[in-house]
Amino acid sequence: MTSLRELQQSFMKHLHGEASQHAEGSEHAEGSEIVQHIQSTPDATAQRRLDIYAIGYRLRLKEAITTDFECLHGYIGDDLFDQLMDSYINQYPSQHPSLRYFSQHLVELLSTQKPFVDYPEIIEIAKIEHAFNHSFDAADCTTLSTEDLSKIAAESWPTLEVKFHDSVQLLHCKHNSFAIWKAITDENNPPDLEPDNTTWLIWRKDLISRYRALDDAEMYALTRLAAGDNFSELCEGLLDYFEEEKTPSQAVYYLQTWLNEMMVCGFLLSSKKQYF
Amino acid sequence: MTRPFLGFGLGLRTEHYQTILDNKPDVDWFEILSENYMVPGGKPLDFLDKIRADYPMVMHGVSLSIGSTDPLDKTYLKQLRQLATRVEPYWISDHLCWTSVNQHNSHDLLPLPYNEATIEHVAERICQVQDYLGRQLLIENLSSYVTYNESEMSEWEFLNEIARRADCWVLLDINNIFVSAHNHHFEPIDYIKGIDIDRVMQFHLAGHSYNDSMIIDTHDHDVCDPVWDLYAKALQHFGAVSTMIERDDNIPEFNELHDELKTAEKIAIDTLPAKALTLSQPNMRESEGVA
Repeated sequence: MTSLRELQQSFMKHLHGEASQHAEGSEHAEGSEIVQHIQSTPDATAQRRLDIYAIGYRLRLKEAITTDFECLHGYIGDDLFDQLMDSYINQYPSQHPSLRYFSQHLVELLSTQKPFVDYPEIIEIAKIEHAFNHSFDAADCTTLSTEDLSKIAAESWPTLEVKFHDSVQLLHCKHNSFAIWKAITDENNPPDLEPDNTTWLIWRKDLISRYRALDDAEMYALTRLAAGDNFSELCEGLLDYFEEEKTPSQAVYYLQTWLNEMMVCGFLLSSKKQYF
Repeated sequence: MTRPFLGFGLGLRTEHYQTILDNKPDVDWFEILSENYMVPGGKPLDFLDKIRADYPMVMHGVSLSIGSTDPLDKTYLKQLRQLATRVEPYWISDHLCWTSVNQHNSHDLLPLPYNEATIEHVAERICQVQDYLGRQLLIENLSSYVTYNESEMSEWEFLNEIARRADCWVLLDINNIFVSAHNHHFEPIDYIKGIDIDRVMQFHLAGHSYNDSMIIDTHDHDVCDPVWDLYAKALQHFGAVSTMIERDDNIPEFNELHDELKTAEKIAIDTLPAKALTLSQPNMRESEGVA
């Protein structure tokens, strides 16, 4: 008798095979191995019965991608989006038990395969939606407030490190992809594609995903602290942007801003080797 | 084994979060889809905690893949246990199926061949999961569209035997019995009468769709009259069983689902003596209940 494992592997092959052949326009994965293990009845052949699973498999995965990349869908239209979904389903079988994470490699496909790789704004729009998806259910933490700054002793400031909320992400766009995303999200006509050079901050505050553009100095400050630089190293780097006597106050101003925006989860004091 | 009776519940769906918080509707309990809350944080867990503060809950999973021949997914089990610690559910359920093999997920509830080797395999895995979670599981019957040539018994014999060997409970989906009976040409009442009365902890009710000669378990319609009739017969056979309505697509306003739940309650009142429908202690928790 065929083992359970062999049956399951054949069944899964049928789901995948059905998927790829549908993408090429044919109706069935005729002759797949699992068919010979399934009973036919007068009202429904084994193939017909298996097709219910194969079609459902594809529909579920497409629904998951469509939910996660609604704006991208709106921008590239039904046909190209369907082509994208077919390619993705065929190349990236789901390896996570939750559909929530199925589409997580879509940007990777867009960034490496034609025709998508030739349209940078498509990749940027996908990155924007991916970032918002992440910020939606990124790990919770108790964020600090500006009052917590008073708990830092003067001698601890130079070695102070900052831990940011898991939802905090930076996204650099070379085109006006954010404006396109915003227009489509608001159900308006998107603007024409234009070059741009903006870094966007995406994070979650009060359970709502937020975003704003960063200037070069703040982008630098956020990038360096997120990478593990301490306050002294940050101030040194900010010398490229501000006069020397202004850098400490400017760095503190950034900290206050991020604290008010509920982006900071902890301060690491090197003396204590722990966050508070 | 004694069976607590929670009354009549609904599936917790994102579309209804705010309505539930604002209006505190008279629903006895909610069933959550476990995977929807196995996320690091954000809105899903925030709403979950707020609604849990007001209502009893049970956890219902779709990705345990208890029938798979892959090793049990330890990461999944760890997340499931963490969620159970957070939710303190009355019980945890999943399906008598497999969903993944070779680490590839189908995101569907795929049927198993009904034979001795599969019984042994699945019962052993349920025992492992129960040991890990420290509680008995509820295992639910599927809607299915295929029968394997390797099957040697009816689905209800298969389900019964697994429940006995694993000493787990059964979540009996009345709609799934109706759907599978149609698709596989058996009498639904034979299924109901074939299940051990004392193993059934919960009923599911749902709607379905027709696709040519087959019925598909879509959960996108109201419960239909033949399923209500079967529900009444199930109540006659099993007595009072905690009942909930599953709606996963084409989700209506909360009041519409609430009305449908009242229909289930009325059928139970018309079918069973009032004493049988007395709710179990509302403060019952896992340590006092079925764990």
